[in-house]
Amino acid sequence: MPTRVALAVVLLCAAAGGRAAAHHSFAAEFDASKAIRVTGTLAKVEWTNPHIYFYVDVTDEKGTVVRWACESGAPGALSRRGFKRSVLKLGDTLIVDGYRAKNGANLMDARRVTLPDGQILSGASAGDGGPQ
Amino acid sequence: MNGRRLAATMCGMLTVAGVLVAQERPMQLDDTKVPKGRPAPRMANGKPDFSGYWKGTTQTRPGGNIGKDLPGWKLPLTPAGEAALKHNLTATVDPEAVCIIGGIPRHNASGLPFEVLQGNNKITFMYWYSYFRLIPFTPGLKHSDDPDPSFFGEEIGRWEGDTLVIDSIGFKDEKVWIDENANPHSDALHVVERWTRPDYNHIHVETLIEDPKFYTRSFTYSRTWALGEPDEQIQEYSCSENNVDAAHLGFGPGPIRPDGTRGYVDPAPLPPPVPRKP
Repeated sequence: MPTRVALAVVLLCAAAGGRAAAHHSFAAEFDASKAIRVTGTLAKVEWTNPHIYFYVDVTDEKGTVVRWACESGAPGALSRRGFKRSVLKLGDTLIVDGYRAKNGANLMDARRVTLPDGQILSGASAGDGGPQ
Repeated sequence: MNGRRLAATMCGMLTVAGVLVAQERPMQLDDTKVPKGRPAPRMANGKPDFSGYWKGTTQTRPGGNIGKDLPGWKLPLTPAGEAALKHNLTATVDPEAVCIIGGIPRHNASGLPFEVLQGNNKITFMYWYSYFRLIPFTPGLKHSDDPDPSFFGEEIGRWEGDTLVIDSIGFKDEKVWIDENANPHSDALHVVERWTRPDYNHIHVETLIEDPKFYTRSFTYSRTWALGEPDEQIQEYSCSENNVDAAHLGFGPGPIRPDGTRGYVDPAPLPPPVPRKP
């Protein structure tokens, strides 16, 4: 239930917050038909402009580790909605939902990030034309 | 307290599962909820003062499209303009995505807020992405015979009553999109902005766009912005700090939807994950 409430609040805040233009169109980089969910260990965080990146190591059935780059909005936009750098803790297991890069790289648009405690954060670049 | 402020305040106050959800200031405002009628502030010389942190409104549709005010958002492109648009869509990435200045009139079509500071002889528009333009309006200024091409052009201001007119020529013709939909402009671009402050909470621009190389006729773009909160301002934004996504961008803005905006018509996001057991 706390997760549902948290999601509701995040969505409420997103609705109140409106939309902003992004650094580039979502559709210039990501494919909305390639929805993807990645579950893995947080290995690296880059809290930078024009986008933040965090990197998640995913282990497949054969034990091979694949690193996914997860792109979100700009630091200022994220922190205004409560998505602070401090919530991303190296070693945590994250569930990241978003869309894969059009060029097939292991790069995704991290629009929904689920933390180990169930808290859900919106990592979208609001107003970039992508799904909210 | 109106609905927007109430919702924002609730977001700022709510504590869920031990985690404080911070208040998100909206980057755009619903203009139906912005008070109207309070007189515009004026400078000591009696001219309207445009200073403030200005946000677009949700009534501006389609955003990022310089053809917003044209039927079907159809721009009057010449054959050369059609070719330039095709080039932008198939051979260029968004210049702003590789940290090139968007320039004018693109910044006037942007969804991002901007800040204005006004003096007696100059006015500056400051934009997210850490760009600014500084326009002099000292009486008697004239355009240069051969201005250096630039993204904002050579801008000269003048007052016509309470209207600030900014006349700009001398634009670059490469690495420029006139809007976020990758529409083109050439170095023959001539932009005339007519800025007014109809009341305390609004500024408005009527923009005349002429570009005989790429457009068969002039056209206009008008827009209103609403005043942000007194403590809001432009923040630091270093575009080239870590611009790794540039290598993954396709040409053009991606699909343009029937409503004139960029994006996919029918995206299919995954449902939220099933909560894990503690």
